[in-house]
Amino acid sequence: MLLELSEEHKEHLAFLPQVDSAVVAEFGRIAVEFLRRGTNPKIYEGAARKLNVSSDTVQHGVEGLTYLLTESSKLMISELDFQDSVFVLGFSEELNKLLLQLYLDNRKEIRTILSELAPSLPSYHNLEWRLDVQLASRSLRQQIKPAVTIKLHLNQNGDHNTRVLQTDPATLLHLVQQLEQALEEMKTNHCRRVVRNIKTTKK
Amino acid sequence: MEASSEPPLDAKSEVTNQLVDFQWKLGMAVSSDTCRSLKYPYVAVMLKVADHSGQVKTKCFEMTIPQFQNFYRQFKEIAAVIETV
Repeated sequence: MLLELSEEHKEHLAFLPQVDSAVVAEFGRIAVEFLRRGTNPKIYEGAARKLNVSSDTVQHGVEGLTYLLTESSKLMISELDFQDSVFVLGFSEELNKLLLQLYLDNRKEIRTILSELAPSLPSYHNLEWRLDVQLASRSLRQQIKPAVTIKLHLNQNGDHNTRVLQTDPATLLHLVQQLEQALEEMKTNHCRRVVRNIKTTKK
Repeated sequence: MEASSEPPLDAKSEVTNQLVDFQWKLGMAVSSDTCRSLKYPYVAVMLKVADHSGQVKTKCFEMTIPQFQNFYRQFKEIAAVIETV
C-alpha cells in the first residue's frame, strides 16, 4: 500500500534535501522525541538560527517528517511500499535510505505510542455482593426492606477502582434479565454472521 | 464610614466543612458472595457536608455494632465536656 502525500506535505518535506543528512537524522530524532513527550517550539528557533532559515521552515520540515513516520507506522507499510512512496519526492538515494532507516528503526515505538491514543474504558475485575435487610432508619422504624449491596472492582489504565452500589432485588432481577438478553443477541443470525467473518479475516 | 465589603470572618466556615445532613439506617446482612448464611447487623451512616464554596459532598460509611457503640461513646463524651464549658 502506497502513501499518498498531499502537495502541502511534499512542500514541507522539500526542505530536507536542502540540509545535510546529519541534520535530517537530527530532525528524525526530534520528531520521535516530540511524539514521546510533546512538542517544544524553542527547538525550532535554535535550529532555524543555525541553519539560517525561518523557524516556520524548520517546523514544517520536522512536522512533515513526523507525519511521514506516523502514517507509515500506523499503516505498517512494507519497506518496498515506503521506498516507493518516498520515491515520488525525487530525493537523493542517500536521503531515501536515511528516511527508510528512520522508519524501520522507530516504527515499533511509534506504533506503541499510537496505540495509547485509543480510549480505554474501565474494565471488569471483580464483583462482591451482599444481601441486606434494612430494619430501621432515621425516618422509619420497624421495617423489613431487602437490598443488595454490590462492590464492583474495575481496572482502568492499570489503576484499580471500586464502586459501591445498592439496589433493591426487583431492579437487580431486571438488570440480570437485560444482561441475559444481551447475551442472547450473540445467538442471532446477524451476530453469528459478523463473528464468523471476524474469525475468518483474523489470520 | 462605609461598611467593609468583605463578609465577617466566620471561624468555622473558612476552615472546616459544614454538616448539612446526617442520615442513618440499621440493617442486617443475611448473605454474601463469600458467606451464604450471615446474621450481621450494622449501622450505615450517610453524611452530607458542604465546603466553604457551598458544594455538597456525600460520604457513606458502615459500622459494626461494637464500632457504633464506640462512636456513640465519643458523642456522649463530647456532650459531657460541653456541659462543663
